[in-house]
Amino acid sequence: MKGIMKRGNLRQLTIAQIVAAILFLLLIIISGFLIGNDKLAIHLDMKNTAPSIAHPFGTDWLGRDMLVRTLKGLTISLGVGLLAAILSSLIALAFSLIASWNKRMDAFITWLIDLFLSVPHLVLLILISFAVGGGFKGVVIGLSLTHWPSLTRLLRGEMLQIKSAEYVGISRQLGKSRWWIARHHLIAHLLPQLFVGMVLLFPHAILHEAAITFLGFGLSTEQPAIGIVLSESMRYLSTGMWWLAFFPGLSLLIMVGIFDILGKNMRKLIDPFHGQKG
Amino acid sequence: MKRNVVFITLTLVLAILLLSACSSASEEGNQDSEQKKDELILAIGGEPEDGFDPTTGWGRYGSPLFQSTLLKYDKNFNIKNDLATDYDISKDGKTWTVNLRDDVKFSDGEALTADDVVFTFETAKSSGSVIDLSNLEKVESVNDHSVQFTLVEPASTFIYLLVSTGIVPEHAYNDTYNENPIGSGPFTLVQWDKGQQIIVEENPYYYGERPFFKKLTFLFLAEDAAFAAAKAGEVDVVSVPPTFAKEAVAGMELVKLDTVDNRGVMFPYVPAGEVTDTGAPIGNDVTADIAIRKAINIGVDRQAFVDGVIEGFGTPAYSVADNMPWWNLDTVIEDNDVEQAKQILDEAGWIENENGIREKDGLTAAFTLLYPAGDQIRQSLSILFADMMKPLGIDVSTEGKSWNELENLMYSNPVMMGWGSHDPIEMFNLYSSGTRGVGYYNANYYANDVVDEYMSQALHAKTEEEANSYWQKAQWDGETGFSEQGDAPWAWLVNIQHLYFVNEDLEIGEQKIQPHGHGWPVTDFIEQWHWKE
Repeated sequence: MKGIMKRGNLRQLTIAQIVAAILFLLLIIISGFLIGNDKLAIHLDMKNTAPSIAHPFGTDWLGRDMLVRTLKGLTISLGVGLLAAILSSLIALAFSLIASWNKRMDAFITWLIDLFLSVPHLVLLILISFAVGGGFKGVVIGLSLTHWPSLTRLLRGEMLQIKSAEYVGISRQLGKSRWWIARHHLIAHLLPQLFVGMVLLFPHAILHEAAITFLGFGLSTEQPAIGIVLSESMRYLSTGMWWLAFFPGLSLLIMVGIFDILGKNMRKLIDPFHGQKG
Repeated sequence: MKRNVVFITLTLVLAILLLSACSSASEEGNQDSEQKKDELILAIGGEPEDGFDPTTGWGRYGSPLFQSTLLKYDKNFNIKNDLATDYDISKDGKTWTVNLRDDVKFSDGEALTADDVVFTFETAKSSGSVIDLSNLEKVESVNDHSVQFTLVEPASTFIYLLVSTGIVPEHAYNDTYNENPIGSGPFTLVQWDKGQQIIVEENPYYYGERPFFKKLTFLFLAEDAAFAAAKAGEVDVVSVPPTFAKEAVAGMELVKLDTVDNRGVMFPYVPAGEVTDTGAPIGNDVTADIAIRKAINIGVDRQAFVDGVIEGFGTPAYSVADNMPWWNLDTVIEDNDVEQAKQILDEAGWIENENGIREKDGLTAAFTLLYPAGDQIRQSLSILFADMMKPLGIDVSTEGKSWNELENLMYSNPVMMGWGSHDPIEMFNLYSSGTRGVGYYNANYYANDVVDEYMSQALHAKTEEEANSYWQKAQWDGETGFSEQGDAPWAWLVNIQHLYFVNEDLEIGEQKIQPHGHGWPVTDFIEQWHWKE
């Protein structure tokens, strides 16, 4: 390990990791899009086959190739995660800006954060996505409404710090409006944090999407999302068809892991405090 | 440090080995001692939500177990006496007189009299449950052991209500009866742990053949848990889905029971436009075309559904009542004939466009096939059905919905449904113009005057033979009918065999054709089960 580390400095290594992670994720997305629905066709003569060279992930009870289903599922889960993470980050940004308005607003937002953090994520998620009617819409709304609190807390702390900076005070003295200050001073400084926070929200959102879909409260069974693939495979575990759950589950884990690496490395690059620790 | 880790790992591995060795040894001991006992443990699922009250529907499929009925079927669907000694139908078919045995006692020792029968039918009539007694005008006791039923209209199907309705005791009937059933059946309920199990024991006052087994425990387990219990040798009878049936389980053999537990695609019969009282849209322009329905019926490969989806544990289905006494054999058609199906579509003016999908007058031959989400067999059937429609040039997409959503969508979309009953009234409910849009009955909005006339004659017939001949004509009389030979409002696909792993020393005898609902029907002749010699 040390030999490799010496070849590049920390910054180069971090960038290399980021590039590798992005490439890998792009690979998943592109392959997911390139595979047409015809590849998901039924082949009753090849059902329940164990992993082989022709079907590296095996086939399911209708003879559909599990590798194709997994890639499709990952793409869908990625899309849901992306949408939910972006929405969640926007909510977090909006709330932290509102908190900068005055003391009372700040207290209100802090209370809201505590409220949402005090209820277990999954329970709230199920509640919300069920209340708005389930399906794709329900999952996305549920995910975005539950994943903002920790990021908001972070952004709010950052915001308070910037707000007390001298140049912000000078701007105010010069008669600049709150909105002008928010735009030119606050958002500009919050953006890097927001971006890293968003990437780190991804794994959470994807895992939670898979979890509630697995439990039957999420996406409908028509979308071959990874949660659906996993919950369907549960019925076949007792008959020894391990590959139905093993490979999709492992793939999900790897994808989430890559997102985590991506986010942590980006933080190293952007956030000087973490960068020094590296 | 490293040494420590190795030591701990070794200890753990040894401990696990030791523990598992112990547990497997004790299991084997259990199995030996359980043999040849007069107790059985069954895991056949199907815990009834509404409890065990026959007046609200308990025992309609199969036997009520705790109660007994006036009449019963034998294994070949001949009607035999149970509580009744004989019955008599008046000339106009409206008055039925049933004479009862005089030696029958409920499991609490009280005698069963005509008053209990009257009470049962009056309670069932006013219960507003699945039991349809609207045709029953009144029921009176003539004396202690004779009951007279008066019908609004003569109905041959009334006899199936006498077969399926368990008699409850008037003196012991109250709001909690469904949890504490007292009846005159072969067994009596001892304990019900909701969500887990019921324990039943022999009814000491039972008038019929004494059951060999004195105590039965029914476990309510999920499919996986039930299968695991079978593998561990902890249960004597367990119901399994087709996916598990190919596994070998030591000490148990697979019992396959033929059924009328069918699955098929229900096609909306009328063009779109109308809505129901609740605002649900009715009709579908594509499936309203008889050419589409006929082509699908001829083009599908029913055997492929049997082999592909239910692992060969079933039979192709051609009607809602295959192999029942009122089934018309002419409904069996040659299917898997893609060429003929294409010809039908061509002749009807459905022409393939550049995408390989057929069109007629600007209408594309496409529809969404719905199925109840969570039902894996219906999902697989639907996916395979959609796949089979491609060569015909019909574009089918599939979508899983909850039952609540289906109730709103089923009048305007084809749905993968399932029926199958021991009562021909089911055919009336599904195909009569009078039951259009009544809940799940006739959700197609199918109507045919000739069929209606035949079914009315069947209902008014004096004897079962006469009734059955009219039921058969309603299916196909050579010119029209509700089967796929005629108007084809359905495409029936498969009858799903009910599968059980049964202790190889246990003899459960021959079973009759099982109805819709996997589980309780197998207990129909449970009093005759015994260990093999």
